[in-house]
Amino acid sequence: MLESARTGRQYLVRQQTYKLGLYSLMLAGSAIMLLPFFWMITTSFKAPSEVLRMPPKWIPTVWLWSNYAKAWAVAPFGWYFFNSFFMAITTTIGEVFTTILAAYAFAKMRFAGKGVIFAILLATLMIPGQMLLIPNYVMINRLGWHDQYQALIIPWLASVFGIFLLRQFFRSIPDELHDAAKIDGCSRFRFLWRIVVPLSKPAIMTVALLKFLGSWNSFQWVLIMTNREVMRTVPVGLMSFRSEVGTAYEQLMAASVLAIIPVLILFFFTQKQFIQGVARTGIK
Amino acid sequence: MLRKVILVGLISTMLAGLTVMAQEPVTIQFWHSMSSGHQPHLVALVDEFMAENPNINVELTYQGSYGDTEDKVNASVVAGNPPTMVQLYENVITPLVEVLYPIGPHMTQLEKDDILDGLVENNTFNGVLVSVPWNKSIMVLYYRSDLISAPPTTWAEFAAMSADLTVDLDGDGVIDRYGTGLRPYNPEMYLNYVVQNGGSILNDDWTAVTIGETEGLEAMQYAESLVPYSFISPGYLSDALGAGQVAMFVDTSAGYYYNNKAAVDNGYTMGVSRVPAGPVNAKSAIQGTNLVVFDMGQTQAQKDAAVLLAKFLIRADNTVYWSTRGGYLPVVKSAYSSQAWLDYVADHPEAAVEAEAMVDGFAQILHPNYGQMRSVLGSAFEEVLLGAATAVDAVANLVIELEALLDY
Repeated sequence: MLESARTGRQYLVRQQTYKLGLYSLMLAGSAIMLLPFFWMITTSFKAPSEVLRMPPKWIPTVWLWSNYAKAWAVAPFGWYFFNSFFMAITTTIGEVFTTILAAYAFAKMRFAGKGVIFAILLATLMIPGQMLLIPNYVMINRLGWHDQYQALIIPWLASVFGIFLLRQFFRSIPDELHDAAKIDGCSRFRFLWRIVVPLSKPAIMTVALLKFLGSWNSFQWVLIMTNREVMRTVPVGLMSFRSEVGTAYEQLMAASVLAIIPVLILFFFTQKQFIQGVARTGIK
Repeated sequence: MLRKVILVGLISTMLAGLTVMAQEPVTIQFWHSMSSGHQPHLVALVDEFMAENPNINVELTYQGSYGDTEDKVNASVVAGNPPTMVQLYENVITPLVEVLYPIGPHMTQLEKDDILDGLVENNTFNGVLVSVPWNKSIMVLYYRSDLISAPPTTWAEFAAMSADLTVDLDGDGVIDRYGTGLRPYNPEMYLNYVVQNGGSILNDDWTAVTIGETEGLEAMQYAESLVPYSFISPGYLSDALGAGQVAMFVDTSAGYYYNNKAAVDNGYTMGVSRVPAGPVNAKSAIQGTNLVVFDMGQTQAQKDAAVLLAKFLIRADNTVYWSTRGGYLPVVKSAYSSQAWLDYVADHPEAAVEAEAMVDGFAQILHPNYGQMRSVLGSAFEEVLLGAATAVDAVANLVIELEALLDY
């Protein structure tokens, strides 16, 4: 009896120690992950003289809200934010739509050359984006889309990675569901939107979030495909604070804080689906 | 008689036509890489140009860093729609020469002779002044004058002072302040040492690689000897200066604003001097870009307007304005004797040092493969600074790589 009580206590102690170690590790990991954000936020309020001080000055002596006003005045950030939102939202909606259709076809339908077409699609993922920049630029120009919203949106309405991700998820949905629906007179299209899509919500949310983030952070494509200030997006605007010889860090950080707010809000509301999607589709 | 009348009539008509053409509205695109610090001054100059030439509209477009601009220019050339005017490094201009509209033939001899001698050669392709220098800077020595009373003037002094100023201030076994700082990928820094030691990358007719000779090897060995006393980082050295991590370093004069700001903001004082002299001279690399006008579908009126803008931007009064606000150096001789520049130098003694270095500077070679050569030069220097190769091995390998790039 005494022995079993001792073993039980030892087990509890071991469990507590394990938990303590685990939480300490996670806390330390979180702190490391959050430190750059903390530096970004506090630096956005610092005087230039405090930005690069060594050892670092974590908290500003005087909180300079004026850094935000200065940063905002450097470039037409109002336009940049509008364009970033417009581009991110339209490309996300478009990509989710096209990706669902293509992924379903590759996952559940039978047609000639399916494997070959899918392999070709996957092969395009291996080509570095830099290599495609000039051909894409030439194509966009020939289409007359240069410096237009079409150039920022249409090429990004489909994604091979998204198709691959959703295909894997759709394949895990039993075919029997489709057979049952078919017996009940349900068309393929209806089955896709009424059964498959609701069941795949986490994976679709993941595709949507990754797309939104990708579009929101898109830099080189926007820079190359546009000329007019009114066509550019937030990441291009952030470049304004850098030069070959130095950077206005406090203003860059102020603009960066503003730039990440929409993404943070989005993640705040969709984190449950995002985490589920990441966990269930195996992208870690 | 009749012939004369007809001839005069024809000339008059042509002149009238040209005048009308000149009065017709024309829009040109000018792509640049001047971010927030310099952009307002460029905008002011371009606004003034448009006020002087009301029929010309200049669409000024920021295209990101020099690298981003280069990417975009190359893409636009392939697409067949480059802008009217753009600022580019010599090594980017070289492969584009055939699609450029030479500016020199549209300048008077007086205007051409006014350009600093050292800047003419690297804008001249096949004997023609194709581009004009614009935002030019020179490498100088920045030093903390609160630590260094007399800056080093020779390699030996620089090395000795770098060693003396490398210290562990709090005694924890970690160096807190280095004597100097070096950015590892910095081909121009290595070239400084090579030229100061009397060496060169290639021979005069570009038929042989000469950097592997004693001068080039000694230059790399000198850089290698500085490694223990150098704060080596790809970041801005102004950041390291502000953080108290370096006592002196060689950097472009265009960085004066940031370097001085970093020093002053952190309670230091900063001085500027010529780069320490090597065994042969104290020359340093001229940096910065040049203006080019494209001839790929642009109308004659656009090309004329762009040439006019290029000439306007390098005019003595404007190059002084640009230099005194942007940290660059005037590109024409007459600017240095202008009252505006003399007044500026009186208040900014560092500008006199920079100007002296500029007149004595050396420019990039115009070998068509220099872009790739520059890349391998930078990589070799980087390998030595990061300890991935010895100076001997890096230079031996560099020679092989450069030889592969000789033919064009």
